[in-house]
This record gives sequence, C-alpha cells and structure tokens, in this order.
Amino acid sequence: MNLLKPIALSFLPLLWTYAKLDFNRDVRPILSDKCFSCHGPDEEGRKADLRLDIEEHAKDDNMLAIVEGEPEESEVIFRIHSDDEDELMPPPEIGKPLSEKEKDIIEQWIAEGAPWADHWAYVKPEWTDPPMPKNSDWSGHWIDRFTLTDTENKMLVPAKDADPVSLARRLHFDLTGLPPESKTVKSFVKDPNPTAYKALVDQLMDSDHFGERMAVYWLDLVRFADTVGYHGDQPHNISPYRDWVIRAFNDNMPYDQFTREQLAGDLLPGSSVQQKVASGYNRLLQTTHEGGLQLKEYDAIYAADRVRNVSEVWMGATVGCAQCHDHKYDPYTINDHYSLASFFADLADRGFTGNKLPTDRPPEIQIHTDENSLKLRDLTKEIDHTLSKKKQSELKNLEDKKGKLSQSLKKAKDANKTQWQEKIDRINQQLAQVAKPAVLQKYRKLLREKKGVEDKGRWTMVSQAVKPRVMRVLPRGNWMDDSGPIVLPAVPEFLGKIDSDKKRLDRLDLANWLTDTEDGIGLLNARVLANRIWYLLFGKGLAPDLTDFGGQGTPPDHPQLLDNLAISLVEKDWNLKAFIKDILMSRTYRQASLPPNGYKSFQLARRLPAEFVRDNTLAVSGLLVDKIGGPSVKPFQPTGYYRHLNFPKRTYEEDSGESQWRRGLYVHWQRQFLHPMLKAFDAPSREECSAERPQSNTPLAALVLLNDPTFLEAAKSFAQKISTHGGNTFETKLTYAFEEALSRAPDKYEHETLASLFTEHSNKAEENWTPIARAVLNLAETNLRR
Amino acid sequence: MNIPLSTTTINRRAFLGGAGLSLGSAALNMLMANNSTKPRYLLPKARAKRVIFLCMAGGPSHLETFDYKPKLDQLHNQPMPESFTKGQPIAQLQGKELKVQGHLTKFKKYGQGGQYISDYLPWTAKMADDIAIIRSMVTEQINHDPAHTFMNTGTAISGRPSMGAWVNYGLGSEAEDLPGFVVMTSVGGRNPQPIASRQWSAGFLPSRFQGVEFNSTGDPVHYVRNPKRVSAQDQKKLINTITALDRHRNLTINDPETDTRIAAYEMAFKMQTSVPELMDVSKEPQHILDMYGAVPGDGSYASNCLLARKLAEKGVRFIHLYHRGWDHHGGLEKYMDTCCQLTDKPTWALIQDLKQRGMLDDTLVIWGGEFGRTPMYQGKGDIGRDHHIKGFSMWMAGGGVKGGIGYGETDELGYHAVKDRVHVHDMHATMLHLLGIKHEFFTVKHQGLDWKLTGVDHSHVVKDLIA
Repeated sequence: MNLLKPIALSFLPLLWTYAKLDFNRDVRPILSDKCFSCHGPDEEGRKADLRLDIEEHAKDDNMLAIVEGEPEESEVIFRIHSDDEDELMPPPEIGKPLSEKEKDIIEQWIAEGAPWADHWAYVKPEWTDPPMPKNSDWSGHWIDRFTLTDTENKMLVPAKDADPVSLARRLHFDLTGLPPESKTVKSFVKDPNPTAYKALVDQLMDSDHFGERMAVYWLDLVRFADTVGYHGDQPHNISPYRDWVIRAFNDNMPYDQFTREQLAGDLLPGSSVQQKVASGYNRLLQTTHEGGLQLKEYDAIYAADRVRNVSEVWMGATVGCAQCHDHKYDPYTINDHYSLASFFADLADRGFTGNKLPTDRPPEIQIHTDENSLKLRDLTKEIDHTLSKKKQSELKNLEDKKGKLSQSLKKAKDANKTQWQEKIDRINQQLAQVAKPAVLQKYRKLLREKKGVEDKGRWTMVSQAVKPRVMRVLPRGNWMDDSGPIVLPAVPEFLGKIDSDKKRLDRLDLANWLTDTEDGIGLLNARVLANRIWYLLFGKGLAPDLTDFGGQGTPPDHPQLLDNLAISLVEKDWNLKAFIKDILMSRTYRQASLPPNGYKSFQLARRLPAEFVRDNTLAVSGLLVDKIGGPSVKPFQPTGYYRHLNFPKRTYEEDSGESQWRRGLYVHWQRQFLHPMLKAFDAPSREECSAERPQSNTPLAALVLLNDPTFLEAAKSFAQKISTHGGNTFETKLTYAFEEALSRAPDKYEHETLASLFTEHSNKAEENWTPIARAVLNLAETNLRR
Repeated sequence: MNIPLSTTTINRRAFLGGAGLSLGSAALNMLMANNSTKPRYLLPKARAKRVIFLCMAGGPSHLETFDYKPKLDQLHNQPMPESFTKGQPIAQLQGKELKVQGHLTKFKKYGQGGQYISDYLPWTAKMADDIAIIRSMVTEQINHDPAHTFMNTGTAISGRPSMGAWVNYGLGSEAEDLPGFVVMTSVGGRNPQPIASRQWSAGFLPSRFQGVEFNSTGDPVHYVRNPKRVSAQDQKKLINTITALDRHRNLTINDPETDTRIAAYEMAFKMQTSVPELMDVSKEPQHILDMYGAVPGDGSYASNCLLARKLAEKGVRFIHLYHRGWDHHGGLEKYMDTCCQLTDKPTWALIQDLKQRGMLDDTLVIWGGEFGRTPMYQGKGDIGRDHHIKGFSMWMAGGGVKGGIGYGETDELGYHAVKDRVHVHDMHATMLHLLGIKHEFFTVKHQGLDWKLTGVDHSHVVKDLIA
C-alpha cells in the first residue's frame, strides 16, 4: 500500500451539505465505526501504521491522510471513493461500506478544516448558560429553556401538558412503581392550588416505595440475583444487600457514599454492619460450583466479570472489551483492563464447590431486623445477669469436655465403659458446682431463646480483603498464558492516575476516584448517572447508549443539557432526591407523551417494567402486601419449571400467606430460570449489567396476564373488591373498577362492551365480576405509563 | 452492513407474525423499509430452510462413537504421553495420574464411504451415507455450562444471543402460529447435568427471538391453558373484549404499540389451541410412533424427535433438542448403553422421516455435544473419561450437507484435532452458509460493537462438507 502516491481525482458533487458539522456528533461516529478497528487504539490490529483516532496521527504531514481544508489532497478522500477494490476503504471484505451520505460528511468536514475535538464523554462537563427560547412564557426552568429552544429550532411546537390524571399516574409509577389510589388522583385533579403538584412530588419521594422503585433499576445494573448463575445455579445468601439498596435510596444517601460503601464498605474505617452488607456488591457476580472447575480459569473469569460491571455501572464504558486485546474503539488498553481487575484481587471469593443449598460462599455475615437486634441485646444482658461471664466460660469448658467424653464412651469397648462413665460423673459434679440447678435451667432456657432469635437472622455475602492474588495481563485473554506482565491496581491510563503514597491501591481508592470531581472521574461518572436518571423519567437517555459512552456509543442529542445535569448533580453533592425533583419540576417532564404530528414531547409512553406489572395488578386488586425488604419470596410458578436444574435437584416450593403477594422486586431471582412472568415482561436474567430493558410485546406476555394463577387470583380479588365497594348498580361498580385500575371513569363504549361480558351466572357476585376484572387488568392502558 | 438495534424501534414487536404483523425478520423488515434491497448478509441461495440441532448434553465420548484410534487400544493402561497433555486445560483429572484408556467398544466401517462408527450406534450406522462426520471439532470451554454457552452463542460470556435466535433474527420465521425457535428437553437416562435457559436466550436481540421451551409435561407452554372453569369460548370472548377496548381507547391515546399488543393477544389465543394440538402425537399413525419408539406424552427423546419433525413441517426455523446424561466420568460402558438406547434409533427415525417426506433436503440436522471426552482414564465409579475440548466429533446431515463422508482427524490417540480442524465458530459459519447467510456480514450492533455469531477471529465455512 502506497499512501503517498499522487492523487488525481474528480470528485462527485456533494449530495448533501449540512449546516456546520460537529466533529463529535457528525464525524467521529463514522470514523469510529468504519475506520478505528484497523486505524484506532488497538496496537495489534493496526494497519499501515495509521491512526485516525488521534488528531496528530490523522493529520501527520507524511501520511497526508487528512489535510485540513483540502479534501483533494487527503488520502482518506481518495480511498473512500476509489473504484479499485484493493485501494477502497473500508476494504470491501470487512463488510462495512460507507454510505454516500457518510462520504459527503467526511469530505465536508475536511473542507471545513477538519476541526477536531476530544471525545465528548472523556471531557469534563462544562456548564452552559441555558439559551433563551423565543417563547419566554412557556417556562423559566433552566431545563425547559434547553428543551424549548431545541423544539423551536426544529420548527416544532412543544407538546401540551399532560392531563392531571396521566400526570398523577406518571408520578406514582416513576417514583414508587405503584399505581395511585383513586382518591389521591381525585383530590389532585380537583386541587386548584398550583403547589399541588409539588406537594405530590414531595409526598411520593418521601414514601418508602421510592427506594423500592429506584432499587429495581440499580439491581439490574449491578446484576443482583438470588442464585449463583452458572451450572447448578444454586441459591446464595444476598437479600440483605437488596434491602440495603432500598434503604440507601430512601435515606437519600449521597451517590459518592453509595458508591464507596458498595465497592469498599468493608475497608471504611470502623466499617459498620450495614456498610459490610453494602460491600456485598463485590460478590454479586455469577460464580460456578461445578466439580472440575479450574481455579485459575475462574479467577480470570471473575476478574473480567468485575471489570465489565464496574466499568459499565460507574464509567458507562465497555472496558470488558479490552480483555483480549486493546479496545478497538476506545483508548482502553489490555493493561488497563487487568490493572482495573487488580483492584478486586484482594477479595476472598474463590473455588467453592459442592451441592449445598444455599451454597457455600464465605465470607458471609448474619444480620438481624431492628426488632431482633434489640431482642438479642436484651437477651444477652439477661444472660450475663443470670450467670457471670466467667461462669459462662467455665460452664462451656466443662460442657465441651463432657461432650468429648460422651463420644469416647460411645465408642468404648464394654469393658472400658465404666471408666469413661466415672469421668463423666466427675464433670457432672463440677457442673453442679457452677450454679444452682434453677439458675442453670434459666440460663439454658435463655440461651435457647437467643439462638432462636439468632437463627432468624439472614446471612449475606460480604467483601473481605485477603492477600491479593497476583494479577497478570493475560495475552489474548488466555488464562493459561503466564507470559504477561504483573500489574498492580491502577485506573485506565488515559484517564489519569490516583495520587497515593500507598504501596498498593485498594478498592476504596477506586471508589473515591470514581466519584472524585477534582482528581477523579466524578464529573464523567455524574454524566453517566444523570443520563440514566433522565432515561428513567423520560424513557430515553439524552445519550441513547446507557452503558457505552465510548466512541461507538451514539453521542447525546443535547450535550449541553446533559453536561449541565451532570454538574447540577455534583453541585447538589450527589443528592439524588434533589436532583430528581429538579427534573420533575420542569415543564418538560410534565409534557404529554404521544403528541400529534408537529408537536414535540420529551416524554415517551411505555409499558410498565415487569415488576411493576405485577405490583400494579396486586395493588389494584387489593392483594398487595407492601412490606419493605426481607428474604426473597416465591410466588406461584409453573410446576416443573426447575426440572433442568441439578446439583442438587430442586423443586420449587411456593410461599404461602403474605409472601405470595409481595412486590416483584422481592421475587426469588433464579438466574437460569427467572420466573416466567418476569421474563415474559423483559426483566433481565441479571447475568450481566443491564441499564436498559427492552420493551417487547409478545403472546407469551399476553398469556401471563390472561392465565398466570397470580393474575387470576388478583382478578378474583379485584372482582370481590368491586362487588363489595363499588356501590349498588352495575354502573357504579364499573365506574369503581375503572377508577381503581385506570384512575378514570369508563366511557359509553367501554361501558357497553363490558356490559356484554357481564352475565349473572352465579350467585356469588364476585364470580360474575371476575371476567370484567380480568378484562380491565389486561388492558393496555392499565399497564401503561404515559 | 449493520443493523442498528434500538430498543425503542424494533424490539417492540411480537415474536410471531400473523395478520397485522409481517413475519419477516427484524433485519429484513428494517432494510426493506429503508431501501428495499436485500441485506448484504444474504447469499443468493440457501440450501437449508431450517435447523434441527440434536444436542447431546454432557459431552458424548468421541472415542466410543465416531473416532476410532487403534493406537489407543495398544497403549491401553499405559501412562498418557506427556507430549499430548502438557500445558493443556484439564477438568476433573487435575493433579491426577493420567493413563490411556482404550476404546470400550468395537468399531466397524459402514456405508459406501466406509465410515467408522461404533457398536453403540447400530441405527446411526445404518444411515452412514446420510451423515457427514466431523472428527476434528474443537471448542474453548471445558466445563459444561460455559461450554454450552460457547456452543450456542459463540462466546462463554453470558448475555449473547443463541444461534437459534440469530437464525430467526436473520431469516424470520415461517411458522404462522408458533414461535420460530423452539426448545425441548427430554426425560430419561441418568442423573443429568443442569441446563440453563441462557442456552436459548435472545441475548441482546429483541426478546421475541428467544427460544420458547415446549414442555412435555404440564402446560406445553407456560400459561397456555385456559384457567380452570373457563371455557375456550369464554376465553375467546374475554380476549375479544380486551382487544376491542384497547383498539377503542387507542383512538384517544395513539400509542403505536397498541396494534402490536392486539396482535399479540390474538396470537396468544391461537397458541392456546395450536400448541397443545401440536404437542399431542397420539394421532400419528402407529408405524410412525413405532419407527421413533415414541409413546405419546412420555417426554422422551423419541417423542421429541417426532415433535421436531412436526415443528419442522409447521415452518419453525430452529428446533433445538437437548438430551442430557452424556457426562460419563465413570460408568462409561453402562451409561453409553443407556444414552444410545434412548437416542440412537429416534435420531435415525427422524432422518428417515424427514427423508420420506422430502424434507431432509432443506432441513439441516446437527448432532453433537458441548465437547468430547479424554483419551485418558477417569475412574469415578467404574471406567470413565473426563471432559475434552481439543478434539471431538459431531455430525451434520441434510440441508445441503454431503452425506457419507468423514472430515478432519484427531491425532493417533484422539486428543488433538490435527487435520482440518473445525472450531465451533467454523461450524456456526457453515451452518449459516447452508441457511443462505454470509456470516462475516451478519452483524448486530450492541454496546457500540458489531457482534457476530462467529466471533471476531476469522472463521471459515467448511466447504468440503457441502454437497
């Protein structure tokens, strides 16, 4: 290949010309997608020694790949237009041809002087003063000034405000994942006071269900599940971590603290029990307990898993792609990958085999409810009061001795038995001297009581630092290749480094760096988080790829708005409730979704997430038990669904009583066989980080709402509620049903259609109402957040 | 050519077509809508329309089925030469003394091609001229779960689409009232390895491409039966009411998803009839039941093979059967008997049945496990063999495959594939090629990267296997 040969070309006239191009928005995505895999960061895969991801290289005087302002002098332009298959770029065999439009963009950009800019996601956000839209009456909120200006620039009209019923429902689903009570909607609709909206926002954000709602999203990101994931998919102990997440959101723990406690709760000075529970984050990955596992192989698998997750959650980056070679599109090197992995090399977490249920995954700690913690404290006091500590240990020693002697007695030959018995008798005498029989009896009773309470505690996996395993760069990701250099914990090189005198950095240093807005990537991280919260509240991120802020991710539509959001999050000291509230108070949030043509809305209508489909039905039907936290629960599930599980074999034992009616986020999360209801509504298996759920609309989901016993029970219960509380006539009952499920009254058509479904075939009113209850619970609108 | 996957645009469709919904693949629909040209990944011609993948889960021994090595018998009981095993991954035999284990059965040559097949597989031997045996397979994963994931998705990392989902994504389904990717697991045999639903996941593809498990006991598909005391007529009336109300309300709401939802409800109702009907093999003629050795409702591999044929007739694009129990660390002789008795004849019957209906020509059948077994002895309760990934056997038949040939070789002890190595990715590339898909161009964008079933390294279509 001769890059220097003279160029003689006649260029086609440009098919499109654009308003001035923006490098990051218009040009970089093309270069990244079509050129970087051979002319980018990956040293090994680089062709012709040409890099197009770095300005100096791309514009190198010797290469003449890109000559500012001179498309005709630029080799790149010659190559992309060449008729010769050997010269054409990208090479045809790669199967990624440039479209005419893309060729024109590159040409126009070079003609414009090929202005360069650093990749948007690696540049710290900067505050831009919100623009002044033409229509200054619409809203004064700073977010609205951005969105309205954009709407006006696109020659569109901002969508109307959502009607109050939709708005009340939207707020409830967005902030609690539960439907509103009909009386709440009624009073909200009637309330003429402009502060009613703010009051509702405050009330919902104060609700304990807020933490549950936020946890559903967080648990997807960190891949929280109740089972190990690989092979036997045995359960492991982790539900207290889920409750910690709920509480952290409810207590509005600042996000930097939230980050520290999860990555390094065990390393914090004076680490509390709850902080240790939080450090269970590091144990959430999939593990195997298969016989014949090779420890070294799984060390590598777990290390890579942790790198993927920590980078996707906190950096919006796919550092996992650098497991085998330098990243093809982003400046992450294979060295960066293993250096990041090295932060987790201290975790005690390897090589547990066996078929126990739940499986062995030490280190674990046992935690108790507040109530039981108090009980335990009181019992301990009473025990110490009954028998001094000294006597307790005396007693214990004697009892241990007696235990051993009894064992010997059992094994002893008949001839020797008397000898052992005598020894035991002596111990018994000594025991009697420790305390009076009545005292001992009381003491033992208290001990039993204490154990009873202790046994109710829940175990949970935690992080514990041990001597770090040696971490090497694994060439091509091959765990059997020991030829790579040893690496210590370090952050990706191009993002800077952590200043420290320590011999070895640890997870706490990493957590601090991730949220440090001065010396770390806190501001970049804030952009990732702000974008995800925007997605939760609007249905689409400002930057659409929620886990890839790298070169291949689509750049944000509104980079300045996103930057401002990130800065405001940091300025609020990572106060998530305040941040969310700021967005909720914008008029943009309150826009009606699904606007007619010519109108622009930032709001997208969408089906409820899987858990909330369940919660909504249970809440409307009156079955929901809205207790917060606790062990995972097992609702009805098709018989035999776990028949493919083994080591050991399992039968699913559904819960009875109130556990049957808990919220979806408490449902036992079996990674390999997620509850079919959750699966049908697109809940992820949580094997990997998931930042955005798909929204499918399948017959399998229809079958769940139609025939799943949970939903049938709910319909029955709803029917009973309708017949009991819905007044005396068909009309009042139907209105009641609609208000409960949809927060509105039925119209004439709905009334007539459902009336034809009503037949008084039974003496029991609720049986007659069940078909209508099923119909109402199955409606698209019932399960829609808009 | 990339097919961008935006969760808001194309994920929101039913996995089945039907009246209002074209059945074509997501990829096809998108492209047709854009510029009405054929996607780049489609070859001018396809040899196979569908795949039936017979997964022998657990890892059948190539050394007791298709790979005859006289030297193995000669060195029986002697230490395994270190030149073979040094630096190689080893599963349960880690740190154990390694010695050669000779064949546990006899091999004979069958068919016009003179293919070596063992005595364990008398029925397969009868169809030696229909199958192409690959004796040089290699994979990258030595434990069951990741090895299955690798075989199905081309990588051991979770969250990637299974090949059945890929194929449906690329070609769409021709089945009118059934999913395009159906999975069945048979009962019977020895204590089996677990198998995860990850194996038929749609990964990052839209969830309608995921494999749907058909169950031989209980509801054939979850929640497909009407609730107790609700007649089919009542259910129909209910569904009609729901769709009528949705349609009506949508005049006000204008949610484009509602049309898809209505179609999904209509399809759900159709499935309530079609799936139980399909799963009922009792109406098949007795001689067909006998040919497979199927007893209606028994959930056996034989019944599943018969169902696979029925699904193929209905236009299901990818049918994946799992038969578990091939993990023979010990008791190899006994358990080979068990496994082969349960699977050998039904597999033969499936091929014959497809043939007699003229369907073998466009149905690609693939047989194999997630890996093979060591030439070395393992003694976990009588003679056995450990997991082995550096050389094992699979076979393909129909759908444009050349019958009666062997391809590739392992070394003299059946350890390393040494001649014409076929990596799992090559097998995928070949499968896609037969289906009319050019694997290099068959990509999907996810997290900014172009993903292929056949991985990043250069994979090749094994042309010698194609008729």
